[in-house]
Parts: sequence; C-alpha cells; structure tokens
Amino acid sequence: MSTLLPPPGEIAMIPVDWVEERSGAISFGKFMLFRNVPKDISWLQTLGSALITVFILQSTTGILLAMYYQPDPDTAWSTIQWITNDATLGWLVRGMHKWGSSVMVVLLFLHMGRTFLFGAYKYPREMTWITGAIIFILVMGMSFTGYLLVFDERAYWATIVGVNINGTAPILGPALSYILMVGPEISTHTLSRFYALHMLVLPSVIGGLIFVHMLLVVRLGVTSPPWSRMQPTEGDV
Amino acid sequence: MPRLTARERREGYQREYSFQKRHGKPFFPNAVFHDTIVSLIVVALIMGMAILWHAQFGAIPAEATAERIGGLLGPAYEAKADPGVLGYDPRPDWYFFFLFELLRIFKTPELLIVGSIIIPTIWMVLLIGWPFIDRNPDRRLSRRPIALALGVTVPIVLLTLTFYGSKAPGAAGQASTEPGAAAFAGGACSTCHTLANAGTAGNVGPVLDSANPDYATALNFITNGKGGMPSFKATYTADEISCLAGYVATWAAAKGTTPGPQAASAKATYPASCTKAGGLFAGTATNAVGP
Ligand code: HEC
Ligand code: HEM
Repeated sequence: MSTLLPPPGEIAMIPVDWVEERSGAISFGKFMLFRNVPKDISWLQTLGSALITVFILQSTTGILLAMYYQPDPDTAWSTIQWITNDATLGWLVRGMHKWGSSVMVVLLFLHMGRTFLFGAYKYPREMTWITGAIIFILVMGMSFTGYLLVFDERAYWATIVGVNINGTAPILGPALSYILMVGPEISTHTLSRFYALHMLVLPSVIGGLIFVHMLLVVRLGVTSPPWSRMQPTEGDV
Repeated sequence: MPRLTARERREGYQREYSFQKRHGKPFFPNAVFHDTIVSLIVVALIMGMAILWHAQFGAIPAEATAERIGGLLGPAYEAKADPGVLGYDPRPDWYFFFLFELLRIFKTPELLIVGSIIIPTIWMVLLIGWPFIDRNPDRRLSRRPIALALGVTVPIVLLTLTFYGSKAPGAAGQASTEPGAAAFAGGACSTCHTLANAGTAGNVGPVLDSANPDYATALNFITNGKGGMPSFKATYTADEISCLAGYVATWAAAKGTTPGPQAASAKATYPASCTKAGGLFAGTATNAVGP
C-alpha cells in the first residue's frame, strides 16, 4: 500500500498545487512577498503596513460589534450600553474599535507625511498617492458616519451640525443633507443609512482601494529614502 | 534642473531602481520583520487606550447624564440622544476639530460657506492632485524648498486649528442656547432656512434674518405652509408650533443676545410656550428617538 502513496510532503502539496494551477494564487502570493526592497529603507516605511493591521483590526472589531448592535434610534444606545456593560469583553471590543479609529487617522497623517517628505508620490508613483488620498477622504467619511451610531447626545448633535455644514453648499447642499438624513431630520432612516455606509459601502470601497494601493506599491517597489547613497555608477547597467 | 523627456525620465528611473533592487534586501522576512514589530506596537497601543478608557469610566450607568466627565482620553459616555434637549453644545471627534475651528472663524451666514465648503474642497483637490502640481523630479528636501515649506506649514496650521477647535465652547451650527433654537437647528427648519441665531444656513426658503417675520406671520407659515414651505400642523403640537414661531420672531435679525425687532410680537407666548411643550417635540422626533 505505502508504495502507492507519495511521501507526505507531496500529499500536502496536492491542494496547494490544485489551487495554484487554477488561480495562480500561490505565485501571486510569492510575487507580493518574495521581492527585493532597497537596502536602506527606513522604519518610517513601516507605517503603511501598520495601517493594514489597523484596518484588519477595525474590520474584526466592527464585525463583532455588528453582531449585537441595532441601528434603531430606540435601541441603538441600549445595545451599545449592553455591549459595554454586559457582553463578555464587549468593553474591550468597543474600546478598541473606538480608539482604533483615532489611531488610524493619526497613522494616516503620519504615512501621508512620510510619503510627502520622501517625495514618494513622484514619477512613477503618482497613482499610489492618488489611491491613498481617496482612501484618506473615505476614512474621514467612516469617522463621520460611525460617530452617529452610538446615538448619544454628542453623536446626535454633532451629526446635525455636520449635516448642516453639508447643507451650506450652494445648490446641491440642501439636497445633499436631505439625502444624508433621508428627510428633513434625523430619524430611523438616517441611522440605517449611516449604518449601511459605515459597515458596508465605505469599508468595501476602502478595502478595494487598499488592494489596488498594495498592487501598485509592489509593482513599483518602495522608494529608497531621498538621502539614499545607493546610486548606480557609470559602468553599472 | 534641466527638463527631462519622458523617455529620459523613465530610463533614468529604471536604471536607478533596478540597481537598488539588485543590491537590496528581501522584503520577506527582513522588511516584514520590521513591519510586524511596528504593527504589534500599534495594536498594543490601541488595546492600552481601550483598557485605560474602561478603567476610568467603568460601566455605562443606566441613567447616564448628559454631563461630560473628562478623563485622560477625553469625555466619558453620554446619555441617549434626546432631540428635546435645548441648547446642547455638540462637538465632533477630535480629527474634525480643524474643520470645526474653520467654521468658527467663518461663522457669519455669508462667510460660512468659505469654511464649510470652499476651503475643504480646495484642500481635497490639492490633496488628490498634488502629484500633478509638484513637477519637480528631485526627491531631496534640500532641493524642494516649496514642498518643504508646505510640509512644515500645513501640519502647523492643522495642529493650531485642532488645538483651538478643542478649546472652542460650541459649534457654529449650534450657536444658540435659546429655547427652541435646538429644535429649529436640529429639526425640520435648518435644511431650508438661514437663521444666524440658530447657526443654520439653509437656502431653500427665505433668510429669516432678512424676512424678519413677526409672531403671527411665523405662526401662520409654520401651521399652514405656503408655496415651498410645508405645513407642520400634523408634525408638531400647537405648543410646539407656538414655541417655534416665538423663537423665530424673537431671534430673527437679532444682534447677539439682543432680540430682533419683532421680538415684542411674541412676548406673550415666548419662551413660555417652549417650556409648556415640555419634553419638546417628543411627539415628532419620537418616531426617530423614543423616550
Ligand atoms: C422644504 C423647505 C422648508 C422647510 C423644511 C421649512 N421652510 Fe419655512 N419657508 C420655506 C419657503 C420656500 C418659504 C417661502 C414661502 C413663500 O413665501 O412662498 C418659507 C417661509 C417661512 C417663513 C415666512 C418668512 C417670511 O416672513 O416670508 C417662516 C417664518 C418660516 N418659513 C419658518 C419655518 C420654520 C420655523 C420651519 C421649521 C419648522 C420651516 N420654516 C421649515 C421653506 C421651508
Ligand atoms: C488605509 C490606508 C493606507 C494603507 C493601508 C496604506 C498602505 C501602504 C503600504 C503598506 C505602503 C508601502 C510602504 C510603506 O509602508 O510606507 C504604502 C506606500 C505608499 N502610500 Fe499608502 N497606505 C494608505 C494610505 C495612504 C495615503 C492616505 C496616502 C497619501 C495620500 C498614501 C500614499 C502612499 C504612497 C505615495 C506610497 C508609496 C511610497 C513608496 O513607494 O515609498 N497611502 N501604502
């Protein structure tokens, strides 16, 4: 019998090869991981990967919260209260989601500052910057829509102010605030709409853009710091 | 710096970068190792903040008050939203403080749009389009004086605005604590009307500071509607309508805390009608927010 079976190492590879042959997923993973980066890249260039970590963390804690949260003006606040007070480690999940959002915004500014000071948005990395800038604006949208969901006094009034700010835009403004609130005032529909934006629309778009951002980063390679001395000499082609 | 042709630029870049890659280090595991360390620190920091926040405030009390008790990381929990609360002073999360402060700088109804729309839009266009604006190919800061100047001033401006925003007493959109103001700003009127006292800037209906209606006019419009103005008879109780009309008549065209010219017409009912309306607008906003 045993002679008929290939060695265990090869058996383990069967599903891997099967997937690779049909999707190319393994070579794609190798393409993302096994590449060279300039020798002198700095610690400042770890901020982008830290952002990926925080995005995954926000998604995970967000999903856990979504399992208990109800986007209904009557019960939203009480479900938050229940999560914080009664759910096992609920306070930790909620706290991490809340403070993770702040940390994410700080990291975004730092990462943006890093790529700015390094001139990393210059040829040929313009698109990397543009996808990043759109991500940045969308993450601010996440903060805005997430703020209402707690449905405490602060959330309610701050959202009204925010929507009214949109409303000051000429022509489109009032329509925009009407669309955001689904009517002239904050209601059940407003909360559902903010919830849908916050947990479906914006995160999917941001996730997709992060993927594009990463493809670009890998395709173009990360820049060496502007102070890099790794320059080719004349004979070196 | 001589201008490069597209081809020179491409070839120069490729020569330099392929050299750096050839003499580089593998991303996995070398760079991944550094990435992992930083990610772990960041996760630890977030957990630390969550723990600190919880340690300071504990469970949310069954009857949370609207009071703000400041902890190391900012305010604690607050009570459930209640549109009836008058004169609540809302603040955004800290990363919107810069915008909040801009709005306080441009707070008159005519200028509000500068802070609320124009500056943020310019800022977003510049942000997205920046690679096309900065055409200087050099990456060394010593050769990028303009970028360096921006790189220093923009953070300083943002931090300053954020700092003053954090100290600001109230929001531009919610300047007033007069009875009825919160209902006007938070309810159905703000989308259509500009009224400086309530800090609203809608422009579907007339600017109430210029229309300057007296109590009877306001009462009539709110009750029966006219043209583009909907009737609120079915939405609000008589006391509530009387409160809103009184508020508008009293505070339209007001100068600061001095009521406007039509204030006298509302004196008999305002602000008493607002108090009488009690848990104000409970009947309407309750579809939205139950007690
Ligand atoms: C859908 C937009 C809209 C909403 C919401 C709205 N209004 Fe109006 N309002 C208008 C329009 C348009 C007019 C002008 C009607 C006309 O003269 O034909 C008006 C007129 C008025 C006037 C008369 C001004 C004058 O002297 O000519 C008052 C007072 C007024 N509104 C108060 C309110 C109050 C208070 C609310 C909130 C309960 C409110 N409005 C909600 C659109 C609106
Ligand atoms: C969730 C948001 C983001 C994630 C997950 C992310 C992730 C990354 C990662 C992992 C890198 C690799 C190099 C590094 O870590 O520094 C990178 C590079 C880059 N990012 Fe981001 N980023 C985000 C947002 C942004 C924003 C807001 C901008 C700017 C507006 C931006 C612009 C760039 C540029 C130009 C590079 C190329 C840098 C180089 O090649 O040296 N990114 N990003």
